[in-house]
Amino acid sequence: MAKTILIVDDSDSIREVVRFTLENEGYNVLVGVDGKDALKHLNGQAIDLVITDLHMPEMDGIELIKHIRAMSDYERVPILFLTTESQTSKKMEAKDAGATGWIIKPFVPAKLIAAINKVIR
Amino acid sequence: MDNFKKKFIEEAAELIDKLEVALLELEKKPNDEALIQQVFRVMHTLKGNSAMFGFELIDSFTHNLKSIYDKIRNGQLEVSKDILNITFSSVDHLKAMLDEQNYDDPDFKTIHSGLMGKINKIINPDIVEKESNNTEKAQDMSGSFSTFYILFEPNEKIFSNGTNPLYLLDELCSLGEHKVYAHFNRLPGIKDINPNLCYTYWEVLLVTDKDVNAIHDVFIFVETDSKLEIQKLAEENLLADKEFVDEVSHLADIQKDVGLVTIQRLAAKSVARINKAKAREFTKERIATKDKTAASIRVSSDKLDHLMNLVSELVTTQARLSLFAEQNNVPGLAPIVENVHKLTRQLRDIAFSIVLIPIENLFGRFQRLIRDLSAELHKEVDFIIEGADTELDKTIIENLSDPLMHIIRNSMDHGIEESRIRIANGKPAKGKIHLKAFYSGANVIIQVSDDGAGIDPEIIHAKAISKGLVPSDKKMSKKEILDLIFLPGFSTAKKVTDVSGRGVGMDVVKKKISDIRGEVEVESEVGLGTTITIKLPLTLSIIDGLLVSIDSSPFVIPLSSIDKIYAVDKESIYNTFNNLVTLDGTQIPFFSLRKEFNLQPSNEELEQVVVVNFEDNRVGLVVDYVIGEYQAVLKPLGKHYKSHDIFSGATILGDGTVALVMDTNKIIKMFATSK
Amino acid sequence: METENKNQIKSYLTFKLGNEEFAAHVSKVLNILEMTPITKVPKAPDYLKGVINLRGAVLPVIDTRIKFGMPEAEYTNNTCIIVLDIDVDGESVHVGAIVDSVQAVLEIDNSQIMPLPTLGSRYKSEFIIGMAKVEERFIIILNMDAIFSVDEITSIVDSNQTVAEGSETQQ
Repeated sequence: MAKTILIVDDSDSIREVVRFTLENEGYNVLVGVDGKDALKHLNGQAIDLVITDLHMPEMDGIELIKHIRAMSDYERVPILFLTTESQTSKKMEAKDAGATGWIIKPFVPAKLIAAINKVIR
Repeated sequence: MDNFKKKFIEEAAELIDKLEVALLELEKKPNDEALIQQVFRVMHTLKGNSAMFGFELIDSFTHNLKSIYDKIRNGQLEVSKDILNITFSSVDHLKAMLDEQNYDDPDFKTIHSGLMGKINKIINPDIVEKESNNTEKAQDMSGSFSTFYILFEPNEKIFSNGTNPLYLLDELCSLGEHKVYAHFNRLPGIKDINPNLCYTYWEVLLVTDKDVNAIHDVFIFVETDSKLEIQKLAEENLLADKEFVDEVSHLADIQKDVGLVTIQRLAAKSVARINKAKAREFTKERIATKDKTAASIRVSSDKLDHLMNLVSELVTTQARLSLFAEQNNVPGLAPIVENVHKLTRQLRDIAFSIVLIPIENLFGRFQRLIRDLSAELHKEVDFIIEGADTELDKTIIENLSDPLMHIIRNSMDHGIEESRIRIANGKPAKGKIHLKAFYSGANVIIQVSDDGAGIDPEIIHAKAISKGLVPSDKKMSKKEILDLIFLPGFSTAKKVTDVSGRGVGMDVVKKKISDIRGEVEVESEVGLGTTITIKLPLTLSIIDGLLVSIDSSPFVIPLSSIDKIYAVDKESIYNTFNNLVTLDGTQIPFFSLRKEFNLQPSNEELEQVVVVNFEDNRVGLVVDYVIGEYQAVLKPLGKHYKSHDIFSGATILGDGTVALVMDTNKIIKMFATSK
Repeated sequence: METENKNQIKSYLTFKLGNEEFAAHVSKVLNILEMTPITKVPKAPDYLKGVINLRGAVLPVIDTRIKFGMPEAEYTNNTCIIVLDIDVDGESVHVGAIVDSVQAVLEIDNSQIMPLPTLGSRYKSEFIIGMAKVEERFIIILNMDAIFSVDEITSIVDSNQTVAEGSETQQ
């Protein structure tokens, strides 16, 4: 069965590129425009991976990661976050919050897939 | 969908304009580094964005174009008129590329391939090649594979952030040929297992053409909180060396983990084997170069001894520091202690490796000697070398040269008969001289045996009597008679000392060997041959051992003698008749070390049986429990324990306590005879 | 030459075993250690107590009481290990000697050293250099090389003589 990936980002273009790439790879894709919006998908349905941006207006990425980790249904789901090369401190903060890994922006589809392959199969 | 493409095109058009402006500036100031940087950065962004939005053509084109400016940045190329012209044409072409409808236009295609060709030619004037990354190119050219050792010990909480370490291992294995050893020894008893924790860790041998960064990339998400060691072992494919794989697998099988230090040692041996196989044809040249490398360092052994003692003390002190840090929670101390620990370990490993060198260098020299002597004496021999990878203290090896040279010369001169005599005696025409080195407990044994005429004890006896060395009426055993050759004044040879040792008697050989605290013995059968055995007790030698606990005392059992380790519950041991225990379906004799060492019986239910090879059999030694692998620096127990040889020495553990190193052969022999 | 030099130094380290006070020439003494846990070497003779880690080297430790044929005593806070540099056939060998307590370093002039009475002494003369009387005490000056050399495992007490042990000795 196709795996389901939840993408959370407030930028339309990023969300669309990621969705496009992932759907091409055969994944089911759910989208949220920010942390708060993403919560509607976390209703107990099977989600195999969450990809989230860190900077978002309503509930940022760190908050969202902490939130997901506190939910018994999703405490083990891999979470990747999007970050830029310069945000090293953010990287550690997100990891401490429970993130599995990160994807550095800007990224090429191959990079995205490689990162995803590290955490789900 | 189209929405974000539109956005990209808008953005890209802006970038291309920016690029054009920068290029015009650059044309005026071709050496302005800031401008070059700017051009490069704009291209970089354009490439990144285009890839993200699916403009693959722009991606690949910009990638190559960018490579030119990468080279300029690194000083490998200079801004030239030619380059600028091509770049300007490229900028125009990029603008055209933003409209996908142009892609099928034949003119567009011609321009595209024309520009690609020109760009590639600049990047790589010799070969038309897509990739221009330096390191990758270097690898492509050598096309070579390296062997890496990877220790991956995940943080035990790794599952809690959604990481599956198996995926990472999968990814690692996809890089090349591999061997994975999973270790479960951190697994607690079944009732203490917490399914949320990761107890397993892995050691991986990987043969790949990728570099170390590619391996690091695999673990990028977990590097900060898991233990990861990546080390290049060799520039060869060590997995192709069966002996190496067997050795590592054997160790991984019987102990907790193999460890980088041990692997590196095994790898060095393996590389030596591989090189030897490669270079057998070029022995002569090899010897010459080898001598050169060996001669490149000369340090007095006093200094090395001093170094070793200081390092041992440092290790002990460091262990105390770690303990102190654990007991006293001083903020910021832990990372410093960790660092000191790491450095100390590295220092120790290097100090150890400095003083030990394989005997290979020395043995290699004899190959030459044999060849020369064969020609000189018109005798044909097969010269067989075994155990050249045996490691010995450098000073011992240096002092072995002359005595061994003499012994081998003797074998050629007096041992091996001329081929017509050999044939007449029903022997193969070609003689055989066997030079062999091996470990025996705390000793290294070096043997020179030949299949020559042997030494006739009667002749020796008569000669000794005639020289007045022994009274004629004294009854002597054969061994005593053969030992006469080591007496000063026995040798008839004139004192013409030269490098090869000719003219020096066996008494000098004996003296030189005992100067390095060795012993020499001779065995001989008339008509069959002679074997000279040199036993060198090591003041300093490393053995790979298994650290075990018996009655709360640590002991070391040399790994070389270990076959397997079993956990056995006590009932099944003590209820067995005849001291036999059934392991894996076979009955093997066992000895309880607690009992044999006259210690209190244990009240633990479980004990461990270390099965060791003894002569042709397997014998179990019962210990309380196995602590793990330990690389022991063997130290002598001192003269007072000279006659007490069931322990080949002692080693000092990290916390400063002393662990005795068992000589399993002697121990079992003693147990067996006392039964 | 070297021995002459050594003989010119008149310092001796004195130590006690039971009620008896012994002395060793300071040139034989490398170090004095507090009692530390000893790694036992199974199957070795009793007097060889085991080995300890002395600054990265392995040092054999001998219980001097057992070596001297005295009854073993429990170790106390005063128990010490004297690290000795013994000459064995011209080779220097280090060994630790457990003694009940270390007393002092005394200057004893050669003229103060008296030979042992040949008759009635309970010590074997080959192990004793002589006796000295210091502040009304008799101190037995030992030949450490002879006592602690490897092959020598006999007690220094002459078996023909009875051993009179002090009351503080525990059986």
